[in-house]
Parts: sequence; structure tokens; C-alpha cells
Amino acid sequence: MITTISLLVPLLGAILMLFLPDDERLVRLAALVVAAVPLLLVTYIYFAYGDDLGAASLTQDLTWIPSLNVGYRVGLDGLGFGMFFLSALLTVIAVLAAWDVRRNLKQYFAAIFLAEVGMLGVFAAQDLILFYIFFEITLIPMYLLVGIWGDENRRPAAIKFFIYTFLGSTVMLAGFIAFGILAGSYAMDALTAGGGLSPRAQVAVAALILFGLLIKVPAVPLHSWLLDVYVSSPTSTNVLLSGVLPKLGTYGLIKVAIPLLPLGVEPFLPYVAAFGVINVIYGSFVAFLQPDLKALVAYSSIGTLGYILLGAASGNAVGLNGAVFQQVSHGLYSALLFILVGVIAARTGTRRIRELGGLAARMPWAGGLLALGALAAMGLPGLAVFVSEFMSIMGGYEAFPVQGLLAALGIILSAMYLLYMLSRVIFGPIERPAYEEATDAGAVEMAAVVPLAVLLVLLGILPGLLINVQRPAVEAVLAAIGGG
Amino acid sequence: MAVSGQAFLALLPELVTTGFLILVLMVGVFGERNVGLTAGLAAFGSLAVFGSAAGLLLAGFEGSYFGGGYAVDGFALYFKLIVAGSAFFAVLAAARWSGNTGDAPEYLTLILSVVLGSTLLVSMRDLFGIFLALELATIPSYAMVAFDRSRRESAEGGMKYLITGVIASSVLLYGIVLIYGVSGSAELSEVANAFSGGLTPVALIGLALLISGFAFKLSAAPFHFWTPDAYQGAPTSAAAFLSVAPKAAFFAVLLRILLEGMPEAAPTWTAVMAFLAIVTMFVGNLFALRQRNVRRLLAYSSVAHTGYLLAAFAALQGGGAAFAVQAVLVYTAAYAVMNLGAFLVIDLVGEDAKSYNGLIRTNPGVAASMAIFMAALVGIPPLSGFFGKLWVILAGVQSGSVLVYIVVGAVVVNTVLSVPYYFGMIRNMLLEEPTTETGRSKGAGAVRFAVYTLAIVTTLFGLLIIPLSTLTRASGLL
Repeated sequence: MITTISLLVPLLGAILMLFLPDDERLVRLAALVVAAVPLLLVTYIYFAYGDDLGAASLTQDLTWIPSLNVGYRVGLDGLGFGMFFLSALLTVIAVLAAWDVRRNLKQYFAAIFLAEVGMLGVFAAQDLILFYIFFEITLIPMYLLVGIWGDENRRPAAIKFFIYTFLGSTVMLAGFIAFGILAGSYAMDALTAGGGLSPRAQVAVAALILFGLLIKVPAVPLHSWLLDVYVSSPTSTNVLLSGVLPKLGTYGLIKVAIPLLPLGVEPFLPYVAAFGVINVIYGSFVAFLQPDLKALVAYSSIGTLGYILLGAASGNAVGLNGAVFQQVSHGLYSALLFILVGVIAARTGTRRIRELGGLAARMPWAGGLLALGALAAMGLPGLAVFVSEFMSIMGGYEAFPVQGLLAALGIILSAMYLLYMLSRVIFGPIERPAYEEATDAGAVEMAAVVPLAVLLVLLGILPGLLINVQRPAVEAVLAAIGGG
Repeated sequence: MAVSGQAFLALLPELVTTGFLILVLMVGVFGERNVGLTAGLAAFGSLAVFGSAAGLLLAGFEGSYFGGGYAVDGFALYFKLIVAGSAFFAVLAAARWSGNTGDAPEYLTLILSVVLGSTLLVSMRDLFGIFLALELATIPSYAMVAFDRSRRESAEGGMKYLITGVIASSVLLYGIVLIYGVSGSAELSEVANAFSGGLTPVALIGLALLISGFAFKLSAAPFHFWTPDAYQGAPTSAAAFLSVAPKAAFFAVLLRILLEGMPEAAPTWTAVMAFLAIVTMFVGNLFALRQRNVRRLLAYSSVAHTGYLLAAFAALQGGGAAFAVQAVLVYTAAYAVMNLGAFLVIDLVGEDAKSYNGLIRTNPGVAASMAIFMAALVGIPPLSGFFGKLWVILAGVQSGSVLVYIVVGAVVVNTVLSVPYYFGMIRNMLLEEPTTETGRSKGAGAVRFAVYTLAIVTTLFGLLIIPLSTLTRASGLL
């Protein structure tokens, strides 16, 4: 019931937004209140049910289409909880970070909340068709967020984003349908360990589902929609685009593909791990070449997504825990960096790395937090990303030594471009006289980034806060694939 | 022949239609030419037809009349609901426009005649009865298309529609005659007996002609070419109504003929349907990509949707048959609400794609509704079109035939292929800046009401699915 309420609040919030009067302060305040409700609910769930997410008060199971055995089945488990929390958190952050959105603010927040319904829903869905429906619900609001509120290049970027991911999810749906028909149900807990499918059928179904999921991530040969979309989006949309949306793909891998079709994904796992490595290395190299700060962060974000793929493919406890954890830590650091890029661009009027320099002197807070985010991205011990990357690489190395070693290389590569970026942007002499006037991040901007920084540190020091919640579910996955 | 009280009850929707048809015409002839009164009568009439069909359906009324040639079953009543429901919205949309032309009673009578033909058609179990009812549904529709005397395209579209329609009818009739010649009876169960021994060459030709005739009527490629001209020329309410109501009835009766009349020949006609489905989907979507006129765009879109529905026909085999029947039922309902809505928006905004630029600023309610219809036509969940496609894919996957798997693949590819033009509309409305050509809100309360209602139904179709799937199971033809 609590889960359903946290899905309904943003839906009602989206409708409420459209009926508010045109008062900017009021709209922003109302949006913040609406966004805060799911976050408070998830926080409550963490403290009240953290060690028993299967509690009846969190799950709901209603028959929807009886002849197909499709149901409205929602509930939380350790695999989805971290992202469920992060989606709620990043929606609040996105509302705070929407300072650069000036026109049609009400509609903007309505779209954000509609996207939140889909995101929260994906991480709570316990039925394949429901999972797909929530998966797609995020698509149109995201299309509108990029297409209406993005920069001058927004329209082609938005349509490209839509067509790519829609193609992927349609193929995924075909896989889901075939799976459900062959197994006779769409309920995820009835489908564990193949749902009685023959190994060959599992492989065919898994191929369709993996294709859709990997486009969503995106895994590198399927990533070409991503850069334009990231670069042309407004800052607060970036928060969701990089923080949550790729995880719809990786979460699908961990929650659906691997435990439900263990024999089907098995032949693909080395390739999934290899895709992960390609993401890491390709992302790092291309990030190095980007003249634009936002593009650099975008490629860095693609790169570190690779660790999730690697850890998920490993099929052992360390790797899977790392992958589930990395979904959250990746979201925290990439949201942090995207917001700070937005702050810097707003103060200096440019995102070109060559034109920036010496910002630490005038913007100590923003510069310092940017450094923190960059250090997190390169996997500095003591920060959350280190824990999850390290676990993913360890797990990956155990299963696929070559891929594991290559991925470890990625940490060095990422240190190269991130340190270069830091030295250009925040250290050194002040590049332009105009930057002398630049002011530091304001109260709202700080409110948007500080929680992310705090969580990065907190989870870096006390990873058990999250790992203890996700462990039972990860063990269930391991039991389903017969490893562990 | 004595007609029992039961038979009167069975014919209730048709009798109600006939009553209101005469009433509307008489008010036009004798009364003041009061548009409000005639439109109100016609709208109330369609609701009464809807209500009587719903009543029969809820009461579980079943029976076969007139020597087995006329069946009232859940299947037929379901389609009567779709026809009558679409008629209600078409009347709402037609009221103001036909009032301006000064011929409201005549135009509304034509709508009710199509309703009469379509509701009779879905109950017919006799090939000649089918032909008569089908003509009763199509002949008024020629007049509807050509009704707008102020536009030359209307006459042109009506002419093209008439000529191809007549050719289609003669092809169809020829096919019926050949089948009759082989089986010695026009009644579907007798036809089935005659076909059970295998297909003779004559029967095969008859079947081919029959399917070709229906392909014309359903605007399946390569028999679709009249569609864009007819829909472009026709008054908006006519295009909206004709693309939905008679089409649903044609699909229904085709399903009945194939399943009741020639189940033994299923391997042959499912293969034909698979071929038609693939060609129709691709032709509809590829041509729609190039359209700048929204009427023509929607016309090609309706061709593509005929293709998706034919895909369900191709799946009428193996384990998919029961699902395929359900798919036709769910899809026609889902298609009716979203397509009616999309066509009616043309009445409010205009047919030039440019007039949709930035519509969200000048006319947010209509723009949002149109965006919903477009997304539904793509098949985005949880809108109505998604459930239609879901059932089609379900049926196809279960059919166990490689050919049908290819058809399912084509459905998926075409769904993606259709994104650019449907989303082109959404982009124009939501992302572009308004221009001087952007449609301004015209004071058309009834049309607005229809559009908003249809948008809500399209959005909440997922909730309707629960009663709908109970209905579709109860109405199983098999």
C-alpha cells in the first residue's frame, strides 16, 4: 500500500501542477512539497522495513487482465530499493535544480512528476507487463523535457532519443510477451529460474530482452542517441537522465534477465561483461577529447555505467552487490557533476573547458564540490563509487579475468581525464577577467548538491547502510542462477 | 412468416435505429429545420441503440433467427456497441457543420443509415444477407463523403470512393456467388460443410474474390488507394465515422465468414491475411511518413492500422486462435476511440500540419488530447492502442507459425516506423512556436466535448480492459 501511495502522489502531483496559478514561487514550493512526499515515504520504509522489504504493507497484488494473467503487482526488494530511493531523491533534487527553467514551469514539473511515476514504478513492479508499462511511461515525459526545455539542438535530440529507446523497449516487450506466454504468467515471482522454459527458448527470449535493455543503458555500440540528449537537456533533466534512466536498463538486467532467465542469459554474459568494459574504456577515451564540460561528464557517466554491466554479468555475490550498489553511487555522483556543470555554465556563460579556469578562487564551494564529484567518479577510496566499482571489478575479475583486468584499467583512464578537467577548470589562474565577478553557488543550488555529496561520503564510509538492505535479494538472485 | 416477440427483441437495436432514422428525416421534412432538435434526436438515437445493445449483452441474450441467417450473440452485440458509440461522437461532430450547410437532417440520416447497415451486418450469417447489409452500410457512406458541396475535393473523393466501392462490391458479390455455387447454400454453417472436404479451384477463386472485396472495403493494400482521397475530401465527421464504425463491422463480419463459413480452409486464408497484413502495414506507414496534410496522414495511418488488425487475422490458427479473436475485439474498440478522437481534432484545428505548430500555447486542451491520440496510435502504454497491439502480438506469438512470427516482427518494425510521423505531430504541437497559421479555438462546444471524452477514454483504456476482456471472452466465436 505504501508503495502504491508513493506511485500515486507524483501522478496526482503532475495533475495538480497544471491547475496551479501562475505564481513562480508558489509553483516551485508546491513542486518541492509534492516531490518530498515519496522521498519521506521511502525514508520511512527504510527505517521501518529496512530488513523486511517483503512486508505485506509494501506489496500489492491485484488481477488486471485475467485472461493473460497480468496483474498490478508491486512491491519492493533489495534490488530495487536503492534505486527507488534514488529516484525519489533525485526528483527532489531535480525540482531544486530547475532554476534555469523559466518558461512553462508548471508543465515542466508536471512532466518531471510523470517521469517519476514511471521510474518509481519500474523499481517496484513485480509483473513483466507492468514493468514494461512503467518503463514506457518515462519515455514521453523525458521526450518532452528534452524537446521543450532543452537548448537549440533539442528537437532532433529528443526524437532520436525517443526512436532509439522506443525501438529497444518494443523489442523487449516482444521478449516479455513470448516469455509470459511460454511460462503462463507474467508475475515475476512465478517466473524465477526460467519459468519452466527450455534452454533454447530461454536464449531466444533473453536475446530480445537484453537488446532492449542494453539500448536503454546504453551499452556502447548502441549509445549514439545519448550525447545529443544529455548535452541539450536542461540541468535538472540531466539529473534524471543520467541518474535514473540508464538504471532502468541495468536494473532490468539484474531484476529480470538474470534471475528469471538464468540459462538464457548465460551465453551472453561474457559479452555483457565485455560491453561493460567497452563502456568503461570507450567512455574514458572519448571523455578525454571533449571540449565541452557537459559532454565530458556525459561520457564519464557512460563509462562508469560499464561497471554495473560488468558486476551484473559476473554472477557472483561480490559482483552483483557491487552492480546493485553502483547503480546508486553512479546516480549520486553523475547528478552532482551535472548540477555543478549547470552552475558553472550559468556563472561563466560557457561550458568550454578551454575557456574556463581558476574558478576555485571565486567559487570555492562549487569548485570544491566539483572536485569531490570528480574524485568520486575516478573511484577515490572513502567515497561511495569506490566501494561499488571495486566490488564490481573484483566480482568481474573472478568470473571473467580479462574483462576484469581491462575494467581496472578504466580507473586509471578516468583519473587522467578527470584530473585534467579539474586542473583546467577550477585550478590555475583565472582565465577571463569576467570570472572575477562570478559568485559562488547560492543557497538553492547548495541545497541541491549537498545531499548528494553527503550521501557519497556516507555510503563510502558506511556501505553497509545499503548493502545490508540489498543482500537478501542478491542472495535470491544467486540462488536462482544456481551460483553463489 | 410469423415473427415472434423474441425476434423483435433480437432486432431491438436495429428497430431503434430505424425509428430514429425516420424521426430525424421527418423532422427535417415537416418540422422547422432546427439543427439542435435533429442533432439532439440523432445523438439520443445513437445512445438508445448503444443502450439497447448493451442491455441485450448484459442480459446474456443469444439466439439465431430467420432460418439461422441472423444471429444475435455476444460477438455481434459487442460490435453494435462500437458502431453506436462511434455514431454518437460522429453526430456530435457533425451537428454544427451540417447545420451550417443547411442539410443537417439529411446528413444525420445518412449517419444513422450507416449505423443500421453496420449493426445488421455484424449479425448476418448468410452470405447474401451479408452482401445486402454491407451495401446498406456503404451506399449512404458514398453520399456522406461527397456531402460537402463547398469543396471540390469532396465531390472528387466521393467519386473515387463510389467507383472503387462499386468495383469492390461486384468483386465481393462475384466471390459470394462462386462460393454459393460450390456449397449450394449461402448460410455459413452449410458453407462450412461444403468446404470441409478441401478447396476446389472454384471455391479457391471464390475465396480470393471475397477477400479482395473485403480488402477494398477495409482499405488494405494494395486495394487502399481510394482511402486518402476519400478521407481528405469527406467532411471531417464523415471521415472520422467511416474510418471507424463500418470498418469495425467489416472486420467483424469477415471474421465471422472465415471462422464460421470456412474454418477448414484456415491454412489458406491465414497465409493470405499474413501477406495482406505485412503489405498493408508497410504501405500505410511509409506513405504516412511523407504527408503534410493531417487528413491524408490519418488516412494512411488508418491503412496501417488495418494492417495491424489483419495481423490478428493471420494469427487465427494453432494456439493463437482464441487470442486472435480477442485481439480483433480489443483492437477495434481501442482503435475506435483513438482514431475518432484524432479525426475530430481536425475539425477544431485544421488539416494543414502547419496549423498545429505551437498549439499547446493557443489551445492547450485540444493539443494535449491530440498528443494523447497520437501516442495511442503509436501504441505507447498505458493508452488504448497499446492494448490492441499487445493482444495482436500475443495472438501472433501463440500461433506457432513461422509466417505469423514474421508478421509479428513486421508489427514491431512498423510500430517503430510510425513514430516519426505521429511524433512529428506531437513535436509540432508541443515543441514548435505558434505561427499565424496556428489554429485558433473555434467555439465548437460539442466537438470539444467529444474530443475530451475520447481523450479520457483513450487514456483510461487500461481500466476498461477489465470488463472488456470479460466481454471478449464471453463473446468468443470459437
